[in-house]
Amino acid sequence: MSEEEIRPLAGLRVVAHASGVAAAYAARLLGVLGARVLLAEPPEGSALRREPPFLPGQDGGESGMSALFAYLAAGMDSEVFDLAGGQDHARLAARLGEADVFIDDTPLADRAALGLDEAAVAGRHPDLIHVSVLPFGASGPKAGWTGEDLIVQHASGEGNLLPNGLAVEMFPDRPPLKIFGHFGTMQGGIAAALGALSALWARPGCGGQYVDISSQDAGLAVGAFAIQRLGDGSIEHRVERSFRYGGVIPCADGHVELLTLEQRQWDGLVDLLGRPDWALDPALGDPLERSRQGPMINGHIRAWAAVRKVDDIVDAGQKLGVPLARYKTPEEILADPQCRHRGLFQPVVVAGAGVLDVLVSPFHFDGASLALAGGPPALGESRREAEKVEG
Amino acid sequence: MAKPLAGLRIADFTVHNAGPFCTHLLSQLGAEVIKIESAMRPDAFRKPHPVYGRMGPATFDQVASTKLSVRINLKKPEGIALAKRIVGLSDVAAESFRPGVMGRLGLGYDVLKAVKPDIVMLSVSSSGQSGPDSHFAGYAPLFGAWGGLGALTGYEDGPPVEIRHVMDHTVGMNAAMAVMAALHRRRATGRGTHLDVAARDVASSLVGEALLLAAAGGAPGRMGNAHARMAPHGVYPASGEDRWIAIAVAGDAQWHALAQAMGRPELSADPRFATAAARNDNQAALDEAVAAWTSTQDANAAAETLQAHGIAAHASWTTPELAGDAHLRARKAIVDVVEPDGTVRAAVGVPMRLSKGADVGIHRGTPKLGEHEDHVYGELLGMDRAERRRLEEAEIIY
Repeated sequence: MSEEEIRPLAGLRVVAHASGVAAAYAARLLGVLGARVLLAEPPEGSALRREPPFLPGQDGGESGMSALFAYLAAGMDSEVFDLAGGQDHARLAARLGEADVFIDDTPLADRAALGLDEAAVAGRHPDLIHVSVLPFGASGPKAGWTGEDLIVQHASGEGNLLPNGLAVEMFPDRPPLKIFGHFGTMQGGIAAALGALSALWARPGCGGQYVDISSQDAGLAVGAFAIQRLGDGSIEHRVERSFRYGGVIPCADGHVELLTLEQRQWDGLVDLLGRPDWALDPALGDPLERSRQGPMINGHIRAWAAVRKVDDIVDAGQKLGVPLARYKTPEEILADPQCRHRGLFQPVVVAGAGVLDVLVSPFHFDGASLALAGGPPALGESRREAEKVEG
Repeated sequence: MAKPLAGLRIADFTVHNAGPFCTHLLSQLGAEVIKIESAMRPDAFRKPHPVYGRMGPATFDQVASTKLSVRINLKKPEGIALAKRIVGLSDVAAESFRPGVMGRLGLGYDVLKAVKPDIVMLSVSSSGQSGPDSHFAGYAPLFGAWGGLGALTGYEDGPPVEIRHVMDHTVGMNAAMAVMAALHRRRATGRGTHLDVAARDVASSLVGEALLLAAAGGAPGRMGNAHARMAPHGVYPASGEDRWIAIAVAGDAQWHALAQAMGRPELSADPRFATAAARNDNQAALDEAVAAWTSTQDANAAAETLQAHGIAAHASWTTPELAGDAHLRARKAIVDVVEPDGTVRAAVGVPMRLSKGADVGIHRGTPKLGEHEDHVYGELLGMDRAERRRLEEAEIIY
């Protein structure tokens, strides 16, 4: 099967006017699925290019290439538009005229001046799917609010519910903790890609339309169980949200995650622990009793694990059907046989930093991994233009 | 006008959370999702969950509402045949068993493709359908651990952090997006697909920049609430018990605005805080100054004040605050649903607003087991009462 055949969105054209993670991540997702993505940048380049940390350079210094930008923009084309300077509107309109999807994270208050408000775009491009991606969305009382990932995580609930388990046991008085990186804004990006493809699905019947995405809404959606449990009568709190036993277990050479939700898994754990007397107490056959005695159980598990290595525990436990996983570092993931088997990484050229393994996608189509079209573009670099010249 | 995915039908074999959340999203967007289950192995939402205050079956559930429910006993050959008939009328077949289970049931991709040549089959699993770890059992916290998200989340001097159900649902939202991509390809080429989504790879995809940094020889690690560029950037105490406010200062202009808002204009001129780099170098003193102000403030009022100054800020919200929020309700991100006994409760909708078509979102509650068999078996499959009764007595429809 040719590469084009496995690229599900081959032929789709996307223009992304993105200064933040959410909009850029939406474009990345569509791009790795086969869409051709043009990153529309201001003369100074997208703000993402200036976001640290920067990749180490081949010469031993810093390359000046943002790790975040390189990851998000891999495979995109870049073209410069001086919209704030009052120029290039016609050229952008021409690009949008060729596109199926336009993704934009310009703050609402600035859109009209740039000709990027909903009505203006719809008037010029009635078949375009116009995806607005903002921290709090384009409608509602907080539509004008600004937000970074930290803000989105705390405005959508998960921020208040972390850390849990071992970390909150160790540091009960510290502030709540965000999930690493850009988890909250990436949810906005995933929702935006889903929204774009859903609106495209309906396009033959209704033409183009406006898709309003809020990273707060998306973060709330993936945290929906907290709202469900509220309706069931319980208010979650980070201190009580832990599983009563298991969780993050310190070992001699790292940490392991242990989670037994079913009886057979508990039985496997008892075997893994060597069937100690305390675990054979008939009362612990009842899952509710195990929950009540969770701290006692965890005390034993932690003492047992502290003198053992993670891999030894995981290997033996998985054979007994006990759900266990090593808390893997980035270095371990890069070398992981499962990730290598899956083709999770692809070597691409990253200017200034060399040929590097870049994560491609968690999806396989018909047994094959997807492929990035290349590394991150230099400002104004377009493979399409290069192909025209070569052609 | 209809919802955007009206006309699509999904045979839904998914279990637990990640797969069901995927099809739940697609159902809210208009797909007809037929949840295939049985009394022998009831779904998790049909069981009590005393730890979370639910002493009986769920009367409403965030991963099953808006779906249709039919009973099929997949342990019996006639049950498999019946499942295939539903697949034959579907655009998508979704499952989230361990790799190999569908094949052993007689419902592998090759079989389903023979039934419906252009079927899009979605398989969601912990590690993917192939590879040395593909047989591993897993739940959300394990996906986060395998994928790097867990190890990178945490206080700088603390342990990794368990990533909970947000991990499952992130997998589900990714899968829903990929299903749509597969359907677009089918529309363009007429070809179906076996789509394989690995949950641990989804976790890795959310830290792709850190993995790239490591690939280049850098050393990403846990950094609490800190940011590589922005300072102040943290969660600060507010007035009241366990009240907090998140503040992220994007640049010098926002820093000067924050100093004004805090009533500490002299901080603007303090050389320790004059640039982003200086503020990062003096984070402890900076955080102390910010916390001294926030701890006297109501979190929500302070967030409004700071936003009015152009500063990214929000109270660290509890679940009741989310459920009652006017902004989320105006966007229908939070909606009210009515339970069978008339109780009104808050629910979370699909995270998007579309300018055309019927409103997307939840339009029906959690189905009763087998609630929609008249529609599916009667109207769609054309089975008469006698045939359905025979299958019920044979514990095929069971």
